Amino acid sequence: MRFDTLVAIALVFIPFSLTSIGGGSAIVAGIQHEAVTVHGWVSSREFLDLFAVSRAAPGPGMMLATVIGWRVAGWLGAVIATLALFVPSSMLCYAVFKLTNNHRQKRWHRAMREGLAPVGIGLIIAGIISLFRLSHGGPSAIAIIGLAAAIFLWMPRFPVLGVLVLGGLVAALAATGF
Amino acid sequence: MPVSDLSHSLPPPRLRSLFLLCFKIGILSFGGGLTGWLYQGFVLQQRWIDEDDFASSLAISQMLPGANVVNLVICMGEQLRGPIGALSCVVGFLVGPFFAVIALCQVFDALAGFALLPAISDGVAFAAMGLLVVMCIHGLRRAMRFPPSVAIVVVTAFLVGVLEMPLIPVVLVLAPISVALSWRRA
Repeated sequence: MRFDTLVAIALVFIPFSLTSIGGGSAIVAGIQHEAVTVHGWVSSREFLDLFAVSRAAPGPGMMLATVIGWRVAGWLGAVIATLALFVPSSMLCYAVFKLTNNHRQKRWHRAMREGLAPVGIGLIIAGIISLFRLSHGGPSAIAIIGLAAAIFLWMPRFPVLGVLVLGGLVAALAATGF
Repeated sequence: MPVSDLSHSLPPPRLRSLFLLCFKIGILSFGGGLTGWLYQGFVLQQRWIDEDDFASSLAISQMLPGANVVNLVICMGEQLRGPIGALSCVVGFLVGPFFAVIALCQVFDALAGFALLPAISDGVAFAAMGLLVVMCIHGLRRAMRFPPSVAIVVVTAFLVGVLEMPLIPVVLVLAPISVALSWRRA
């Protein structure tokens, strides 16, 4: 049973590793579908909490996989999920960097760079849509998202952690019905 | 700035130095902006990597699957010290966040009785979604230069986000189409 769970974790995250074009934000929608709907590892509420935790913690947002693995199967689950998500893409990147870095000016390299970028952006938008659907998103949610985006856009030097704390505070104030 | 001229004459860094720099950036990088940290560390402070090499490594890192910053430290590690350099960088970079994110999860659980916690967690998630919105705005601006790219963005977002189709088959179909469109444009 436990072994089956570890194998299931690996089988979920390895394909996401190789499809996370544009980074971890691109696979939030997919991970949510697998972890919540398909495998029932976490509830929608827990998934949103884990997303918030993974964004507030240091390091890449893809550490979302680490905490899901940890929730499902403890330390071993965390290690398996982390390796499953980072090793395949890392090996691919290593190989591609080593083999193609001298061909950057070639037409195929440019087409590959420019062609993959819009797919990555589309996936991030899909991630926003599915996260918003999970949350109890009302007008205050849209206000916080918009406010945070405005700060990130126009005050790029503003500390990210500060914006996240601010978002938590505004939501707490809204919940107490000020 | 003659920064890039200087970097060529410096000896390659020791593996321990690579590991420690990546560890420091990994554990201190609360809430993103990691590319900026890496630029600061590898290019400006240590002068291990010159500006052009950094930019080209970044482009490859963004194009390929995987966390951009993880890919970036792999490229720089490989360039500086080969396979062992890449391994030192990636392990150094991820080991801190691995324990930090689990620790934060435990703090979160310890506070579970606190009535406002779900609201606060939602608020943090919404603010973090603002970060994603900004990435989309920048990406859409770049895509505007070539209208078919905008169509790819919209179709991808619609299929995966609105229709909730599984992500992997959608990417396997749309990515080759998008690359073919860019190929014909070039």
